[in-house]
Amino acid sequence: MNIRIAHLYPDLLNLYGDRGNITCLQKRCSWRGIEATVHEYRLGDELPLDETDILFLGGGSDREQCIVSEHLQGHRDAIQSYVESDGVLVAVCGGYQLLGHSYQQAGETIAGLSIIDSYTIAGERRLIGNVVMRCQHQQLVSAPSSATSVVGFENHAGRTYLGPAHTPLGVVTQGYGNNGEDGGEGVLYRNVIGTYLHGPLFPKNPLLADFVIRSALQRKYSSSIALSPLDDSVEHRAHDYLTRCRLARCQ
Amino acid sequence: MDGKTVAVCGTNGKTTTNNLLAALLRAQGMRVICNEIGSNMIAGVITAYLECCTRTGRVEADIACLEVDEAFGVHVLPHIEPDIVIVTNLFRDQLDRYGEIDITRELLVRALKKVPGAMLVLNGDDPLCASLCRTPPRVRTFFGVSEEVPVPTGGESISDESDAVQTEAREGRFCVFCHHELQYRYYHYSQLGDYFCEGCNFRRPTLDFAAREVRLDPHLAFSMNDLPVQTAYRGFYNVYNVLAALTVATLLEINLDDIDAVLASYAPQIGRMEEFVIDGMPAVLNLSKNPTGFNQTIAAMRADTRQKNVVVVVNDNDQDGTDISWIWDVDFEQMAEADAGFARFVASGIRAEDVALRMKYAEITPDTVLFEKDVRRVIEVLLRGEGEVTGKSGASRGEVLYVLVNYTPLFETQRVLLDLQAAGSAARADATPRRRRA
Ligand SMILES: [Zn+2]
Repeated sequence: MNIRIAHLYPDLLNLYGDRGNITCLQKRCSWRGIEATVHEYRLGDELPLDETDILFLGGGSDREQCIVSEHLQGHRDAIQSYVESDGVLVAVCGGYQLLGHSYQQAGETIAGLSIIDSYTIAGERRLIGNVVMRCQHQQLVSAPSSATSVVGFENHAGRTYLGPAHTPLGVVTQGYGNNGEDGGEGVLYRNVIGTYLHGPLFPKNPLLADFVIRSALQRKYSSSIALSPLDDSVEHRAHDYLTRCRLARCQ
Repeated sequence: MDGKTVAVCGTNGKTTTNNLLAALLRAQGMRVICNEIGSNMIAGVITAYLECCTRTGRVEADIACLEVDEAFGVHVLPHIEPDIVIVTNLFRDQLDRYGEIDITRELLVRALKKVPGAMLVLNGDDPLCASLCRTPPRVRTFFGVSEEVPVPTGGESISDESDAVQTEAREGRFCVFCHHELQYRYYHYSQLGDYFCEGCNFRRPTLDFAAREVRLDPHLAFSMNDLPVQTAYRGFYNVYNVLAALTVATLLEINLDDIDAVLASYAPQIGRMEEFVIDGMPAVLNLSKNPTGFNQTIAAMRADTRQKNVVVVVNDNDQDGTDISWIWDVDFEQMAEADAGFARFVASGIRAEDVALRMKYAEITPDTVLFEKDVRRVIEVLLRGEGEVTGKSGASRGEVLYVLVNYTPLFETQRVLLDLQAAGSAARADATPRRRRA
């Protein structure tokens, strides 16, 4: 088996260790004998979505995010049909904001991709710090009505609000999340994960990484896939440090 | 105070540059105010002045050399009214403190606008730095390395697009004036090199002070405008710090005839490739607090042919930056290669769990990775080669111990190393007579 990971504009969107997310997906595939190739796309490149199994959009500084949002408009329809046919899309921080209808920057409202029913406005204060959230999505937890935790680090001035059709990726028990008001963090829609969490996201949350890999394989091979288990003790230790830290140190 | 004031700004190398400059000036018999231990926030700058004040409030010094944190420059520079401002480089640093690198540059631009009379001394190899000469246009001097350096500098080959591994600090490689991706005739590391923009003709300026014939083994040596320079430093990146100090010394018309003596005797300050010997085992302490600095340390370790043990200590206190995502932009992969000469790794510090995780995804052999939050214990076990950490033996083939720390573990770790060094020599002094008898 093999999968293709498309990393969009890594030359522009590469803040906060985004590279760690790509590395993590690639290694967790290769440790299972699944070949994962990473293809980087620059502005002006063709974007072959019919050959893409995981689409990754990271975060950038204001200037760079602005350049990207203009160029992405040309790929909007293609990305939407990719998403609606269960294509896997991971968007972090600035990339997450781009998925919505609009976001604000330096007093201007900039059009997003409208892939997700959300909008982002500028907040006065940056929301910064470690985040712990509870996730109850069926796709992510082993048993119904159980929950799992997801951890990371957020640093954003934007406040994102989801439309009524969407549920957030999780509910924060520490940190601010989408807007610091409703407790929601990120979004999970079909096979789209949008989130403010970096840190990076996947290494400390192997469950999410494996959800992404499994979803990509199932779509590509049109069959139910069971990933072989890995020894995740090092991952869990780093994950648990943040959930324990919440109790001991950061209260 | 009647003398001149020099301010040193930049992400990496401020302390080394500033202290070396102060040492060069003191060697001329000048009385120098200097904020020497990296206390470069506002309080540190004020303290440096107060320490040289007489009871009547006169500052008794011929010159002031002050490190000024980029983010506080807006407040500090107008007060100290520098005659010269050095900017060593601009890299991605502690994100949650300053925001993004554009913000840092913008803060520096605003600060420089407030001191339009100051002469600028800029790293010409760094496009982010060199672009500051237009803020507003004024007398400026550029230093840099004017030829390709045929040694491992820790930089990636920019032409190798397929190499997905090394991506640190790419944002600096875009033209700040027209946003085109910069092209490079040759390249040193991060965004440093001989660059030009096809969009607007922005290019590396002519270097007024150019280093050539750079050699790294065993210590950094080069020639600056035909002046031979031999340092006691390791690490390619120090070429910029030494160049910056020598550039300013030249501009101040300091006689450079006996710089050899200053450079040879000049001990690096706390935690800048600071060397110790403990029970006969050499140890090196180095501050490595952002991807560019850390990658340069890895390059320096790889250039060291000895078998190495490496302790990585990462804290996430406020002064360190509470976001430690940057460790994923460090090329730990460069230490995983079998021929790189690394024996043992230790993940340590408050965020030891994350360091160990980073090492795992760099595919560093798990058997060589130890996990221990207590730095003293780690160093004892590794240096003595006995005892164990997390069930793994400390014994290894290491011939030298490198301890890489970010900001807040620095002073404590240095104290541990000094203690152990002192204990080791005391023990040796005790043991010597007995050995003679036997
Ligand atoms: Zn340009």
